[in-house]
Amino acid sequence: MTTRTAGRGQKAETKRELVEMSWDPITRIIGNLGIYTKIDFNNREVVECRSTSSLFRGYSVFMKGKDPRDAHFITSRICGICGDNHATCSIYAQNMAYGVKPPPLAEWIINLGEAAEYMFDHTLFQDNLVFVDYCEQMVKETNPSLLRRAETTQAPNSGIHGYRTIADIMRAFNPFTGDVYREALQVSRVTREMCCLMEGRHVHPSTLYPGGVGTVATPQVFTDYLARLLRVLDFVKRAVPMNDDLFDFFYEALPGYEEVGRRRVMLGCWGAFQDPEVADYDYRNMADWGRRMFVTPGIVLDGELLTTNLVDINLGIRILLGSSYYDDWQSEETFVSHDPLGNPVDQRHPWNQTTLPHPQKRDLEGGNYSWVMSPRWFDDRTGDHLALDTGGGPLARLWATALAGLVDIGTVRATGGSVQINLPKSRSLPEMSFEWKVPRWANTIERNRARVYFVAYAAASAVYFLEQAMAEVRAGRTKVFSDFEVPEEGIGCGFHEAVRGVLSHHMVIRDGKIANYHPYPPTPWNASPRDSFGTPGPYEDAVQGLPIFEENGPDSFKGIDIMRTVRSFDPCLPCGVHMYLGDGKVLQQVHSPTFGAAQ
Amino acid sequence: MTAKKPIRTGRPDVRPDAPSHVKGVKEGNAPGNYDRQDGHLPDGRSTAERSTGINADQHDPIDPGMPNLSPA
Repeated sequence: MTTRTAGRGQKAETKRELVEMSWDPITRIIGNLGIYTKIDFNNREVVECRSTSSLFRGYSVFMKGKDPRDAHFITSRICGICGDNHATCSIYAQNMAYGVKPPPLAEWIINLGEAAEYMFDHTLFQDNLVFVDYCEQMVKETNPSLLRRAETTQAPNSGIHGYRTIADIMRAFNPFTGDVYREALQVSRVTREMCCLMEGRHVHPSTLYPGGVGTVATPQVFTDYLARLLRVLDFVKRAVPMNDDLFDFFYEALPGYEEVGRRRVMLGCWGAFQDPEVADYDYRNMADWGRRMFVTPGIVLDGELLTTNLVDINLGIRILLGSSYYDDWQSEETFVSHDPLGNPVDQRHPWNQTTLPHPQKRDLEGGNYSWVMSPRWFDDRTGDHLALDTGGGPLARLWATALAGLVDIGTVRATGGSVQINLPKSRSLPEMSFEWKVPRWANTIERNRARVYFVAYAAASAVYFLEQAMAEVRAGRTKVFSDFEVPEEGIGCGFHEAVRGVLSHHMVIRDGKIANYHPYPPTPWNASPRDSFGTPGPYEDAVQGLPIFEENGPDSFKGIDIMRTVRSFDPCLPCGVHMYLGDGKVLQQVHSPTFGAAQ
Repeated sequence: MTAKKPIRTGRPDVRPDAPSHVKGVKEGNAPGNYDRQDGHLPDGRSTAERSTGINADQHDPIDPGMPNLSPA
């Protein structure tokens, strides 16, 4: 397991001066994530980190008793930025429960809508929120010497993106005034329009249903989408080399920066973009149609692809407690004892989870401190409960897809060690190809770099989906929905990728109503607290032991390296970041090797 | 002048304030609905009748071999 609580390079039995620092709230539109750290400024290292959530959502509680056909409309409201991912995932789960297969054109339309969502959300997050941490103004305040070096460092790809030096790129990131910042706002508007063309509305789609879509598939809808896509392709073609220039500069100018936010490669991807040729939503065939998804599902451990089988992925999911404000449900009802293939389903699996909230005082020192549970994936080879992260979404998606080597649609090709992305001629730029290669580390920089590559991946996939959809329309096959009946009893599970990573919805139907419903979005995986085995969650793990490169001392400390790390996971929209410093409570403590180890 | 007679309607099956998804109330997903919709053919294709009920035939393609791409 990846408990990296003892910091790198620290000596046992040395006297350490730790300063408590906390950022709460740090993330999401509603601002419910807090990061609590203990920092050793003398050794420039974060020694301990805890990630907490102060908000209880309760979807799994109030979904009970509702009509299953409402599930996607309600669960879409889980998120204000990727609600359509939830709607889509819920529809996948419902399709399974109802035994309905949507017509091919409906699947292409959903794929096109979701591709637009990835382009929209990643662009907005990367250029308008992540890059604030890398902009000229911020770097000037946190690492002035780095900015001086950036002023004299030529950008290798300036011929494509037009920025001569790295500092010019950083200036373009400046909020409200920088060119990249402002252009990204325009692009995110256009990509949002693309999503609306396919799904009726953004963020909460109005034309997505189980069994198909309500979008009227006219040639006009697709040409409207294509016209916008060609404009976005211009932006993407400049963005990828620009991102590479910036991130390569960080590695070069700050030796050791690869350790920032680094954790063991433990990535999960639940797959995205169904192939209508095989996707019949029958659980018994799930391994087959899962592997045909245009983003391959998979679990990557230490650089090795453990599985691409959605049935294995499903059965391995465990929801642990340990530091969360809930009572255990081990003795509660078992809703699903065996899956449709006859495999036993664990009591800690989402199908069998009963949510029993137990509000209490936050106790960061060995007690419960978060409303987030601890989703883990059970590795039956070793018996470990792996604290998978999503790498912010794109890192896991690209990594799993690259290693699996299953995707080959012309515009995107997985080679076994990389993903080739071929973008056609667009409004002002010629054909261009990019190749995302499996990186050496799962760290802050690579999570951010993968994001822009996945925008290109989504754009290239959209070109393919568009061709397929138009072929259906030109052949006159305009059917976009299939009839179905809601069964009295049934189960379903949906696997999808929310923009920032793995997304699953598990549903149990009894008497025609929802008896149990558990959505698991990416942030519970990434932001999970220490589980019952003492394993820290990915944020905690990535921040603990983090070397500090910021040049400021404790008095004017901004925590930029910590912020970059937490934000590299794309913790939904960190629109309101408030940093609490106070006077910095100083702890005098004799360090022992077990300090901060999981309880 | 004579008072206009109200439009003759059938007896309602449900009360207007009944919640959604009442058993017995037909919904869009009900089996057979696709077949009952005008202009939607059993093989997954469609005709102009899905877009308009007025002279729909005149909006179909002039050559039967052409795909039928009706307006929204």
